[in-house]
This record gives sequence, structure tokens and C-alpha cells, in this order.
Amino acid sequence: MERKQAATQSQKLMVFVLTMSLYGLATLFTELIPKFQVGIVEFSVEYFLFIPLVLAMLFDPMSAALGAATGELVFSEIMLGQFGGLGELEKFITVTVGVYIAGRLVRNPKNGKMVGIAAISGVVIQQLMGTVVDILKVQLAVEDFEAVPGLPESVFVTEGFACLNDIVFSGILFCLLPTLFLVPRLYGKIEPLLGMQPRTEKTALGALGIKAVAGSIIAFGVAIGAEMLAENGMQLIDWEADWAESGTAMAAGMIVAAILAVIIIAVMKKRADSTNTAADV
Amino acid sequence: MEKVKKKLSENILDKISMDFLRNQVLKNAYGNDDTVIAKLDPRILLVWYLFFAIVPWFVNDVVFLAGCFILVAATTILARVAGLVLVLFGLGVFSQTGYMFIVSLFFGGNWETIVPLLIMTLKVATVSLASVTVFSGLDPDRLSNGLMWYGCPERLSFSISYAYRMLPMLMEEFQNVLLSYRLRGNAPDSTTFGGKVKYLIYQIKVIVHAFYPLMLNTAKRSRTTVEALEIKGYRYAAVNKEVKKMKLSSLKVGYNDMMFAAISFLCVAVTIFTTTII
Repeated sequence: MERKQAATQSQKLMVFVLTMSLYGLATLFTELIPKFQVGIVEFSVEYFLFIPLVLAMLFDPMSAALGAATGELVFSEIMLGQFGGLGELEKFITVTVGVYIAGRLVRNPKNGKMVGIAAISGVVIQQLMGTVVDILKVQLAVEDFEAVPGLPESVFVTEGFACLNDIVFSGILFCLLPTLFLVPRLYGKIEPLLGMQPRTEKTALGALGIKAVAGSIIAFGVAIGAEMLAENGMQLIDWEADWAESGTAMAAGMIVAAILAVIIIAVMKKRADSTNTAADV
Repeated sequence: MEKVKKKLSENILDKISMDFLRNQVLKNAYGNDDTVIAKLDPRILLVWYLFFAIVPWFVNDVVFLAGCFILVAATTILARVAGLVLVLFGLGVFSQTGYMFIVSLFFGGNWETIVPLLIMTLKVATVSLASVTVFSGLDPDRLSNGLMWYGCPERLSFSISYAYRMLPMLMEEFQNVLLSYRLRGNAPDSTTFGGKVKYLIYQIKVIVHAFYPLMLNTAKRSRTTVEALEIKGYRYAAVNKEVKKMKLSSLKVGYNDMMFAAISFLCVAVTIFTTTII
């Protein structure tokens, strides 16, 4: 029986749940673990990306990638109340793309060399995309970016350095080595627990096609696009600021309307309370 | 001095035990469902959040930003957020902008640099406090219902509910595995500098090793979860409109919600008014 490693829907859900809970737990810890700072070099346990990487190499890469990104979003961002809006979209996409590509690269998990290459390239892809978006974000958020003394250089240096630091430190210590350690150990053991057959050269999903690469590039474009929205928004608000200057009366009107609304709602609430004391408003 | 330092570090280490972390996270998730914010309708709160998460990024006026910041700070106090989350928030804001300011000093930055950075700090702080209010003030189930009402994928709201329920168990299990590894292992002596480095490497190694049994256990558990969900027809229910309607029928907009929206609107209007006067 040589089927392609196309998991059924419920197996995909299993992989999703598995990656989500494990990676979520790990990111929760990294969020809480203090960072060691030696001079400018920051030794942070940036992320335990090895968990989704290992799972993406053993199971369906797409489910593992989505699970990892969702887990990070839910456990460490939403549960700790650190949800950052637009920025999270970028993180979500970069993690998904990085893990997915790494998972697709490995055709035979027994091939240690390939596992290592895939692990490190997953990290590099994720980090590079994150850095590009980060730099763009600061450029857009700060008005007259070029004019502020010392700012452009410091942004490039801090971001570039953080990226390099993450790739070298977290990438090798927390992605490459654990992945090389865990993949051969888990291979053949964890798949039966989900009712699947281990991935072999024959059942792998096939080489990384143009489609996957194109999809990744489009996703990256979306991540940048989310940040570019900011630029358009800037013009929108410029226009609004114009209007605001001439519209003190408008603002006063808004205040009056708001006060009226507050009073009306208060009166309505009081009435509802007195007529129906049992009602739980 | 040495003594104070030692005591302080001991004190901090005491605080950051695994149990403490678990308690804080649980408290954050379930501990404050009796606050004003927790009782509000999740849909209204999400719209409110969208406003304070997006608008501050596009405005560069200090007065407006400060006004927004005060408002979200007030709601954060109302939501009675766990202390740990606030500490993380402080660290996050500093690491995003304070750090950059220090570096920019090396490149010939001066006090002029602080003004745009102050604006940016206010933006970051407002946006993250708004998210702290909404996402840790709300009950997880209400939050996921609210997200679902806006047509977020079922996967996401499932993940939120699942995460909040499973997290305590996962944390406990991880701790148990970690402790059993520590019991069996022989930690290197950490008095000298070389020993400290060795100790750190040992710790990291233990954590990575601990994930091996954890992965197998979680794999088993997630299979059980998914099978239990399948028995109840989860994947069909997730896309069924009827089911969704039943699930969301508990959401109701009351006077309190309208009041909250109106007061927020009033605050924003006042800040805009102040901006135009100045």
C-alpha cells in the first residue's frame, strides 16, 4: 500500500491541535522567560520553533504550520493580552510560511542532513521576512523618518542585529540541534499515535513546487501589504486633521451628542431597572 | 549591597516559579469575570478594540494620543488585569522603543529623537493596553463567541476555547516531566563562571528533552480530543449555520454596553475637541 501522505480531514485536525497546544505552551514560556543581555548581544530564547518544525517534517506540513501560528497567536498573544493587531498578521504569516517550507523540504525524515538544512532554512526564512516587515513598520510609524538624527541607522542596526542574533543563537541552539535530536527519535513512534503511517520518500508530498513558492511570496506580499495600509491611512488622517482644524464646532457637536447619548441611555436603563427589577440587564 | 542583591534575586526567583506562572495565567483567564468589562457584550468590545487598535497608528497628535491612552488605561484598571500581564506590557513597550532610543544615542541622536519616539511609545502603549483590556478582560468563551459572530473562522474560536481549557493541564504535565528529568539528572555545579555556562546548557538541554515525552503524550491526547469532537459531529457543526445561530443566541447588547460605547465616544470627542482648541 503506497498512498501519498495525504491525511484525512480529522487527522489534519489532530496535527493542528497537537502543534497548536505544544507550540502555544512553548511560546507562553518564552514570553515569560526573562532575557539575558550581555552588552548589546541579547541571548533570548526567542522561540521554540523546533516544535512545529519537527511536527511539520513528520506530519502534514500545512496543518502543522497553521497550528503553530494559531497556537502562538492564541496562547501567547491573546491569553496574555499582548495582541498587537496588524503586527500579529505579519508574525502569523511568516511563521506559517517558514514552517511550511521547512516541512515540505524534508522528504525522508531519516535523512539527517536534509532535516538540518530544512530546519535552518525555515528559521532563516521566518526571520528575514520578519526583519523586512519590522524595518518597514518603523519607517511608516515615525514621521519624517529620514530627518530624525540617528534614527534610520539605529533602526537598521538594531533590526539587522536582532535578526542575525536570532538566526545564529536561537536558530542553531533552539531549532537546529533539537530538531536533529527529536526527528529521528520521534520518527515511527509518534505517527501511530495519530493513526498514520510514517513519512517515507515514496509517500512524501513531492518536491517543493513552484506553486508553494509562489504562494509563499504572495503571503509575504500580504504581510507587507498590511503594513502598507498604514501609509494610505496616514493620508486619510491628514485629510481628517485638516477638517479637524476648521471644525472645533464639529468636535463640540460630537461632545454634545455623546453627552446626550450617555444621559438617554442612563435614563432608559433606570426605567428598565425600575419597571422590571428581576430582569438582569 | 551584596546581601540586598542576593535577597532581591531570591525574591524574584521565588515569584517566578512554575506555579506562580500558572496561577497568573489562570487568574488572567478566569479570575476576573465579575468586572464591568467582563460583563460587556463581546461584539461591542471588539469594535471598541478595533478603533483603539487602528486609529492611534495613524494619528501623530500628542494630545489625541494621550487622551486615548488615558481612556484605555482606565478600562484596563476596570478589567482588573493580572499583575504579570502588566509587567509584560511594560517590558514590551520599553523593549520596542526605549531600547531603540538608547541605540540611537550612539548614532548621534539627541533629545530631539525622543519626541517621535515618545509619540511611538504612546501609540504602542495605547494599542497594547486596548488589547489587554479586551483579550484578558473578557471570558474566553465570550471572546470566541464574539469573534465567531464577526465571521472569524471556526478554527480560531475553537482554538481559543481549547487553549484556555487545556493550558493548565499542559503546564502541569510539562512541569512534571521537567521535574522528573531534574530528579534523575545531576545538575552541574554553578558556582564558577564556567559552571554557570554549563548549568545554562544543562537547563536548556533538559527543557528540549522534556518535549520528547510531552510530544508523544500530547499526540495521544489530541487524537482523543479530535475523536471525541468527531463523535459529536464537530466538523459538520462548525460550518452549519443553524448551529452557529444557536451558539450565538446568548449574545445580547444591553444598556451597559451602549453606555460603555457612549462614554468611550464622549472621551474621544473631548480629546478631539481639545486638539482643535490647542
